[in-house]
Amino acid sequence: MKRRWILILIALIFALAISILVSIAVGSTNIPLRTIAKIIVDHKRAFLSAEETIILQIRLPRVLLGILVGMALSVSGTTMQTLFKNPMADPYIIGISSGAAFGAVLAMRLSPTLVPLMAIVCAISTAFIVYNIAKVGGKLPVNTLLLSGIAVGYFLSALTSFMIFNSGEGLHQVVFWMMGGLWGANWDRVEIIILPICIGMVILYLFSKDMNVMLLGEESAEHLGIDVETLKKIMLIISSIITAAAVSMSGIIGFVGLIVPHIMRIMVGPDHRILLPTSALAGGILLVLADTMARTMGEIPVGIITALFGAPFFIYLLRSRKRLY
Amino acid sequence: MLSVEEIDAYYGNVKVLEKINFSAKEGKLLGIIGPNGSGKTTLLKVISKIIKPSVGTVLLNEFDISKMGRRELARKMAVVPQESSTSFSFTAMEIVLMGRTPHLKRFETEGFEDLEVAKRCMKLTNCSNLAERQIDELSGGELQKVVIARALAQEPKVLLMDEPTSHLDIKNQIEILELMKRLTDDRLIVIAVFHDLNMASRYCEELILLKEGKIVSFGRTEEILTSETIRNVFDISASIKRDPLTNSLALMVIPKKKKEKEKIKESLRIHIICGGGSGSILMHSLDKEYEITAGVIHELDTDFEVAKALNIDMVSEAPFSPIGDERYEENLDMIRRSDIVIIANMPVGFGNIKNLYAAISAIEDKKEVLIIDETPIEERDFTDGEATKIFKGLREDGGIFFKDMHELLDRLESIITKNGKRALDQNSLY
Repeated sequence: MKRRWILILIALIFALAISILVSIAVGSTNIPLRTIAKIIVDHKRAFLSAEETIILQIRLPRVLLGILVGMALSVSGTTMQTLFKNPMADPYIIGISSGAAFGAVLAMRLSPTLVPLMAIVCAISTAFIVYNIAKVGGKLPVNTLLLSGIAVGYFLSALTSFMIFNSGEGLHQVVFWMMGGLWGANWDRVEIIILPICIGMVILYLFSKDMNVMLLGEESAEHLGIDVETLKKIMLIISSIITAAAVSMSGIIGFVGLIVPHIMRIMVGPDHRILLPTSALAGGILLVLADTMARTMGEIPVGIITALFGAPFFIYLLRSRKRLY
Repeated sequence: MLSVEEIDAYYGNVKVLEKINFSAKEGKLLGIIGPNGSGKTTLLKVISKIIKPSVGTVLLNEFDISKMGRRELARKMAVVPQESSTSFSFTAMEIVLMGRTPHLKRFETEGFEDLEVAKRCMKLTNCSNLAERQIDELSGGELQKVVIARALAQEPKVLLMDEPTSHLDIKNQIEILELMKRLTDDRLIVIAVFHDLNMASRYCEELILLKEGKIVSFGRTEEILTSETIRNVFDISASIKRDPLTNSLALMVIPKKKKEKEKIKESLRIHIICGGGSGSILMHSLDKEYEITAGVIHELDTDFEVAKALNIDMVSEAPFSPIGDERYEENLDMIRRSDIVIIANMPVGFGNIKNLYAAISAIEDKKEVLIIDETPIEERDFTDGEATKIFKGLREDGGIFFKDMHELLDRLESIITKNGKRALDQNSLY
């Protein structure tokens, strides 16, 4: 691995650590760093102080959930952009967000505790349906995939809108959920999604060299010995699973999965061996910081913050480098 | 050796290749030529296992490629595509290193040895200086060299190229083709699709000629590339000659005879007396507007070839023999039917002196006789002064002399207008 890559990774890990500390310290009650350090090192007592409860039961799981969701969305976005060879691709491109929203709204009418479960089930079913619509004789043409994703997405959105329109009450909750946020965070949620997201990211990373070759075009990749159809299926299935996992816990947080891959591509180049890990770290950092801001501004949806601050930064990078890939 | 046996291939229900059989050996550059849509690219795709044929096999050193895995095949066969995508900023070196992919284990990164191979291949294709440049900043020629280096980094036995020079300027075309030639000599099997028949004929030892998905012919270049086959397959007329300078076949396309030329001066007929190439440009420039005839021209003469190519009505005589009486009379007939006679700046010998007699009778027939007198007649008179004497007579009897062909072409318009008016005057007499 190149030395430059290692330096970038170390810098990002350091930045992530600082983001975590800041996020834990800041909030309705500000807690000094020294106290945080003490609590994290030594907390094995039966009785928890107020500060310990805030940190261990509220802020820490929320920060970890934010990191996981940010990582999942960024890695999935990078993968989708490579798969579709399209800079507009994001984790939700094949209708996963619409599927998750449909599931969530359905669950809210039954029982709000079912929301994460229904969201993930419907998100993965949507990906499965889209995949099967697009598949032609064992092959997966990306344009068909893109279009069937859009079609299925619109269909589910229509159903969701219809349900919201009909229900009347609980409307605010649904809209909130669809804007995305980390307010439901707790240790259970972290435990549920940590494995699928981490394993998924590792699997995608193992194929990073193959994804590089995919950038040369599908035919060239085949000539270089890549089994393109299998690779495409792996990329699609794994990134769908990690996106669905993220969406089920946090709602539909926009922008992160679209923009982080671009920012990192501008900064480290197109090689997935560095692009995937740096995107994951940057996605985690972005979402944790944005969530901290959302919390301190009175629990506004975090998607608003990511777009509000991320977009101008991205435009700045775009103008200064003038190249997307 | 690569053998293609009994291949049929379909796109949906459309048969695109039928009964393809050929084999390619090491050390010989094999070209595939044929019109658009004849199946050239499809054939390459079948050989490289992108398209599965419905019938038939491709054997590489006796092994069926359909039984090989992608990675295994990629270690034996590399492909240079027609166009390479460059919308991302890898460096040229990174692109060439990707050629090592089939040699690396799934999770292995490129090592020292791979780097050495990549460097060697870039040196071979003469692009080492580009190593650190980003490929989206390279020119077409530079990019093509990098892509070929990537293909070579696969260390293949077979190299397939789809129109490797189609987007390149002439210098880069030659450079890439010379490179292909060198690679072939290094015991590589090289198969390339060509659009430019001249390039194909110059660099390929063997050619496959495809039409409508079938092989029309397959064999040594000089056997394949004939006017006959070119007309059959490409539907153009062409003359194919061995160029003495390069000792390779050169193909010249002859423009199609315009159907019923839209001639402005439809009625006007011009007869050109020429020879030794003196009438070629005249015929080319006048043929567009007027009804042209020519004679008497000796066969094998450049003017003969031009008149034939332009489908000009002419009287011709067997090569190296003096103009016979019969041909002379035919020529006079033609002159009688024409309005203007032009005598080109030709050398006059005993072989064609009768053409000047014909000119005399033209003057006697009251035709406009235009004479190009660029080289003084004395210098091109090989008849011991007879031609010079005739020229003198022509001048006295009203022949119009021009100092060169361009003056004639410039003034022709006004002479014709006058001629037309005179014809009108004559009509008014009656």
